[in-house]
Amino acid sequence: MAKVAREMVERSGVNVDQLLELLVKNAAAELTTYYYYTILRCNLIGLEGEGIKEIAEAARIEDRNHFEALVPRIYELGGKLPEDMKAFHDTSACPPAKLPKDPRDIQAMLKVLVEAERCAVRGYTHICNLTAGKDHRTYDLSLAILNEEVEHESWFSEFLGEGPSGHFMRRGDNSPFVSKFLK
Amino acid sequence: MKEFSIDELARYNGKNGVPAYTAYKGRVYDVSASFLWNNGNHQVFHVAGVDLTEAMEQAPHGGDVLERFPVVGTLRTTG
Repeated sequence: MAKVAREMVERSGVNVDQLLELLVKNAAAELTTYYYYTILRCNLIGLEGEGIKEIAEAARIEDRNHFEALVPRIYELGGKLPEDMKAFHDTSACPPAKLPKDPRDIQAMLKVLVEAERCAVRGYTHICNLTAGKDHRTYDLSLAILNEEVEHESWFSEFLGEGPSGHFMRRGDNSPFVSKFLK
Repeated sequence: MKEFSIDELARYNGKNGVPAYTAYKGRVYDVSASFLWNNGNHQVFHVAGVDLTEAMEQAPHGGDVLERFPVVGTLRTTG
């Protein structure tokens, strides 16, 4: 634990134990999403599926990176991951992004993907709101993750035909915002 | 439709097999089936069995998220 780092956050008025609970829940959401997106990506077959496979893969890897970036912050603040992985799964801040009944229905696949990202956007917006001006490091981390989740939502929303996202798929390395926390 | 008092609503806290209900703008919703209301807790800060109308102002989502849940009654705000 980074004792003084935790103390600074406490002194700013943040309930660190509640914040830790939120961070653990969101870390669970990231790791479970990484798992469920693996299944989704494997099932994106055929011409239509192939069209979104790469962008689903980018979101998958970046959500895994979000988990990796969150873990050190949890421990810095004096928290920990649950010892039981099943319990960790069930504590997730977002519902499981499970394969739809018909995996060949690409619209249904996209709806699962976009809803997962929307849950994440809400979750990190909430953490940013709680930590802005108070816990600078968690805010910086949550903002970085939020930036990537907003892009994920935009990609899948565009594929659903909801409107232009202004984006093109990733060129170069994944996690343009979060990668600084992974070094 | 059943009318709940604040005290009656408080019994539906989602714990020990009891359904999880929450109230918003006078309607009482059954959120028991939601993964996000497991054991009557929601995102660390909220519990079932209460009127969340005020809390919704600070939420990163609107009250429209409750529309997918069944309405089981209305909330009586006095008595």
